This record gives sequence, C-alpha cells and structure tokens, in this order.
Amino acid sequence: MDSKPSVSPDLRPAYLPEREHQRVKILVAGPMGVGKTTAIRTLSQIPTLHTEEVMTDAAVGTDDLSLAGLRDKKTTTVGIDFGRLTLPGDRIVLYLHGTPGQRRFLPLWEGIAFGALGALVLADTRRLDESFEVMDLIEERGLPYAVAVNIFPDSPDYDLEIVRSKLDLHPDTPLVTCDAREMNSSLNALIELTAHSISSVGVGVGAS
Amino acid sequence: MSRDKHQRRLLPAYLATGSGTASLPSTLDTLTALRASGRPLASYHTPVHGRVVELVTDGSLTAVEIAGYLGLPVSVCLMLAEQLVGDGLLNASVPTPDALAPSRAGRPSRQLMEEVLSGLQALRVA
Repeated sequence: MDSKPSVSPDLRPAYLPEREHQRVKILVAGPMGVGKTTAIRTLSQIPTLHTEEVMTDAAVGTDDLSLAGLRDKKTTTVGIDFGRLTLPGDRIVLYLHGTPGQRRFLPLWEGIAFGALGALVLADTRRLDESFEVMDLIEERGLPYAVAVNIFPDSPDYDLEIVRSKLDLHPDTPLVTCDAREMNSSLNALIELTAHSISSVGVGVGAS
Repeated sequence: MSRDKHQRRLLPAYLATGSGTASLPSTLDTLTALRASGRPLASYHTPVHGRVVELVTDGSLTAVEIAGYLGLPVSVCLMLAEQLVGDGLLNASVPTPDALAPSRAGRPSRQLMEEVLSGLQALRVA
C-alpha cells in the first residue's frame, strides 16, 4: 500500500478560533432537494464538509431500538453536510448540520439532535407534505424549531397563513420565507429560530 | 450531491480503530474539539490514528470536522478520538461547558442562546 499524505496542502483545515469559545449545534432539516445544503453553504464560513454515516446493526447498540420500529436491518448510508459559522468576537461557533428528514434514519437522530439549540425546517410550497415527517421527528425529540419556506423561482405564491394552516403549526412556531441562497435571508431564519428557542426555555425544563 | 471522491480510505473503517475497544460507545460529543498534545504515536496505533493526530497538530477541530476531512464515518472518528484522548495524544474540550447540567440534556443555556441571537443579528447588519 502506498503511503499517501493525509491532507493535501490545498486542503489546510479551517481550524477553530484559538481563544476559548463555545460550540453550538443547529440542525437544518427537511426533505431532499428542499435547499438544506444551499442554506448551509450560504451561511458557512468554511467550505462545507460532508460525512457519510453508516447505519447497520452494529450501530444499534447505542440507539434505542424500541423507538425505532426498525424492521429492515440492511445497511444504509446517509450523507450529512455541515458548515460552520463563527459569530463576531470568536466566542461562539455555530455548526449547521444538514439532517435527513426520513424516519428510517431515526437511529442517527438521537445523536444528531443531542445538544442542539433547535432545528430550522425548510419547506417547499410545492410539496409541503414532505416536511411533515421531519417535523414529527423534531417534535418527538422536544427540540424547538422554526419553519422557513424556501422560495424557489417557480414556487406558487402562498399566503404564509395558508402555509401555517397546511403545516398545522403551533401558533408559537415561527414561520418565515427565505431564499436559501441569500445570507441575510438565511440569517433571518436562524434569528427567528434562536429567538423561539430562547422563549421555549423555561416552558419545558426548569427555568434558568 | 456526487462529490468528495478525492479521498481514499487507507483502511476500511471497521479496521481503523485497530483494537477491541472499538465496540464501546463513545463518550465524546461530535462537537468536542480535539488537538494534538505532541505526544508521539505508539506502535499499536494505526495509520488512521496517525492521520487524525496529524490533522490537529497545528490547530483544533471538532470530531465531526475531522471525520469530514478524513472521509471517516463520524462514529468511527469518535472511537479513534476517544482512544487517542485516552492515550494522551489528543486533548479534548467540551462544546458547551455549561450544558453539562443533567437537567438541560445538553441543550445550550438561555444565556448562551441570547449570545447566539445577538451574534447573528450583528452578522446580518454587516
């Protein structure tokens, strides 16, 4: 076997800030093709990274199978994109994790959702129903979330109140439109989510 | 969607950890930051251990980033990192020290989220 350099020189890693900081995870969830990766690329200050996670019986030991209803046990690979956003002052680094929306990836969800500030659910007005599954998964984890309708050039022009009722959202759940290709628009969606996560503190677990 | 073919695994993922401790679930978080301590590799470390250490010699990265750079499944990367932390080759730092309170289930504190909020708002203005 040839020896290979571990990292090619043009791929010098984007190291974390040297100063002491905290790292916070935010999920970007939704059905395939809804713009998760686009939003992460827009927001990330580093080239987005990609990991492949393998789901097999071997992974099952760490997951609660009684929840999973995992009948077919064949190996599944799921790709996850993520990006990183350092907030001004280098004291907080956000990690944006693209998260697959299908229930068959449930075993991965426990780990991915653990410790997250919340989830930004992307939806497409042409196929709103495809976001139901991921919204259910997030609600089951007790994670706060906001819904951002990603505007595509040929999306029908929906009244947000109609979208809200079609998605059957809780009145407190933020619903915004966004253009995942645009920084400020995507930031707005994250701001809505964060404000919502703050206001849900103390509602669930003891106030801090 | 079809990219990231530039890296070839030196070892199959299931061999990379090189020892029987690999079946233990990791106690590290995917956002645990890791940095090489400077201690040299031992003879029982695999080439993949070496690549992990080399990657974080000049700076810190989280476990999930290391997985991304090296093309390893996150679970395998966590096991490797755990071994290397145990062997004293990597130093680890937890993502959010204040989230360790059991009542919070790892979720960020209100204060931390408020800092996130103002940071995001500052970015938007820029």
